[in-house]
Amino acid sequence: MNILTIPLRNLRRKWLKTCLLTGVFAAAVLSVVGLTYVSREVGQSLEKKLTQFGANILVEPKVESLSVGYGGFNLGAVAYAAKSLDASAAAAKIRSIALHERISSVAPKLIEMAKVGDKPVGLIGVDFEQEQLIKNYWTVTGAMPDKPGEVLAGSKAASLLGLAVGSTLTASGRDFTVAGVLDETGSEDDAVIFAGLRDVQEATGAIGQANFIEVAALCSACPIDDIVAQIRALLPDVEIVAMQKVVKSRMYAIDFVKNLAMGVCAVLLLTACFMIALSLLASVNERKHEIGILRSLGFSRAKVFAIFCFEAVAIGCAAAVAGYLGGVLASQKTLAMLDVAGQAEQAAHAGHASVVGFDAAHFGLTLAAVCLISVAASIAPAWKAANTDPCEALVML
Amino acid sequence: MIAVKNITKTYAGGGNGGAPALRGVSFDVREGDFLCVTGRSGSGKSTLLHVVSTLLRPDSGQILYRGEDVTRLPEPELNRLRLGDFSMIFQMHHLLAYLTALENTLLPFMSRLTPVKDAELAAARLCLDKVGLAGKHDRLPGSLSGGEQQRVAIARALVKKPKALFADEPTGSLDKKTGGGIIDLLGDLNAEGMTVTMVTHDQAYANAGNRKLTMEDGVLASDG
Repeated sequence: MNILTIPLRNLRRKWLKTCLLTGVFAAAVLSVVGLTYVSREVGQSLEKKLTQFGANILVEPKVESLSVGYGGFNLGAVAYAAKSLDASAAAAKIRSIALHERISSVAPKLIEMAKVGDKPVGLIGVDFEQEQLIKNYWTVTGAMPDKPGEVLAGSKAASLLGLAVGSTLTASGRDFTVAGVLDETGSEDDAVIFAGLRDVQEATGAIGQANFIEVAALCSACPIDDIVAQIRALLPDVEIVAMQKVVKSRMYAIDFVKNLAMGVCAVLLLTACFMIALSLLASVNERKHEIGILRSLGFSRAKVFAIFCFEAVAIGCAAAVAGYLGGVLASQKTLAMLDVAGQAEQAAHAGHASVVGFDAAHFGLTLAAVCLISVAASIAPAWKAANTDPCEALVML
Repeated sequence: MIAVKNITKTYAGGGNGGAPALRGVSFDVREGDFLCVTGRSGSGKSTLLHVVSTLLRPDSGQILYRGEDVTRLPEPELNRLRLGDFSMIFQMHHLLAYLTALENTLLPFMSRLTPVKDAELAAARLCLDKVGLAGKHDRLPGSLSGGEQQRVAIARALVKKPKALFADEPTGSLDKKTGGGIIDLLGDLNAEGMTVTMVTHDQAYANAGNRKLTMEDGVLASDG
């Protein structure tokens, strides 16, 4: 028996009220934990899915063009003084910007119009490793090229040219072997042949060059304008096109989910806070004689304050435990019902039991936060209790 | 033991200047006294007891306890005094309904985080036995009679072995027979050396002590 016996016994005596209060608080904590986990997982899933759309920054050499027309007849624009990029130098510079951690892929490309037999076909020199980061939706029959002289044929190109895995072809004076055939993507990738960047550079004599570089930079808090500005500062002679609309809409979608979740969380917690404060305030009014007797027995104001504060903290702790565990369970169920379930399976195959699970650090954080909120909610009623005049409280009766 | 010197106390309200409850009251409480303070309702006897027991600060005057003016003590010192030397019992027993008789008796030792010691537990059991509640230690107040509840309150007041016991109408909510039992108990405690100051409006109990103070309109009308 010690000072904590008093609040604990009081909570036990009013078990129904205690249970209801704990239940409401636990529901708020559950919602906060659940929403936080679900929004985090959905946000990450959304990011991953959106990343599959490809690059969002295009780095290309400046092209001077002249519009040609005469007598109202437009002949279109004529490009001249076309330049190419020093692929490795430009890639290195892009990777060296202050926000380099936001960049997931830098993929240079060199395009050559080649002939296979008598049929013209686009031969695209790429860095396969970087390309796969941008185009992680690619599925291949056969294998991705990993040696010089190997190519990946687009589905239409393969069909048109009669290529299959293991076929050989000659393009731009070089012999290539088909390592894999790209499954149909519905994009222009289907109509071309992808070869190693170095192979195409050697075949065309454009050693170290690239026609353009695709950069993928995506995250919910990506400052895309800043990334573009930083690349522009390092590569002043190139054209940098940010597909900002796409990026912004991606960011907006992710931020919206997160902000909505946070807003709901704040409202729920605030409501729980008010409920605890009101309940304790009623308890203080109801237990004035108790406060009076404790004060007359020599309990200091601080101790009376602590008794009422502890009641709130005890309710908070119980709510935090129930709310956290419930929140984890609820988010697992919710994620399983959503599309994120597939991701959960992937995670399971990758050796992780589940996307969301018990996390000791998160649990500790939840417990600490809920305790703080409980203390904050109890300050006004506990202050009122501590400042009750013992004489007034006893004479009142 | 306690010297009360020219104490005044005025409550707010009651017209211009408030309602005076004590108007220059002076008397001494000697060690071993059983002092009964009596008077009509509103004469200021309860206010006097609350002021002397340090529950209420007077507007002016001094209360010297063993030579120290307790009216000037800061609150932590007053808390220490109430936890140690002074004890109070009230008309209403003011027990905590969710604690057993034993736990209510132990309340003065429960103002800290460290658990109640075995010696304190033994003292509480002894006090409950002394006030005639042997075998009822684990009963909740709701299952005890009014007189038994008041006895628990007395045990709670005794458990820390105070120097002075202040009782504010301890029989006020009890029937004659039960009230008489409480007065006898206070008499026994006084006989064992406890200084008792009791406020009562009941003339039947006013002569239970060795001294009787009579209050009238906030002043001491007689001391004898």
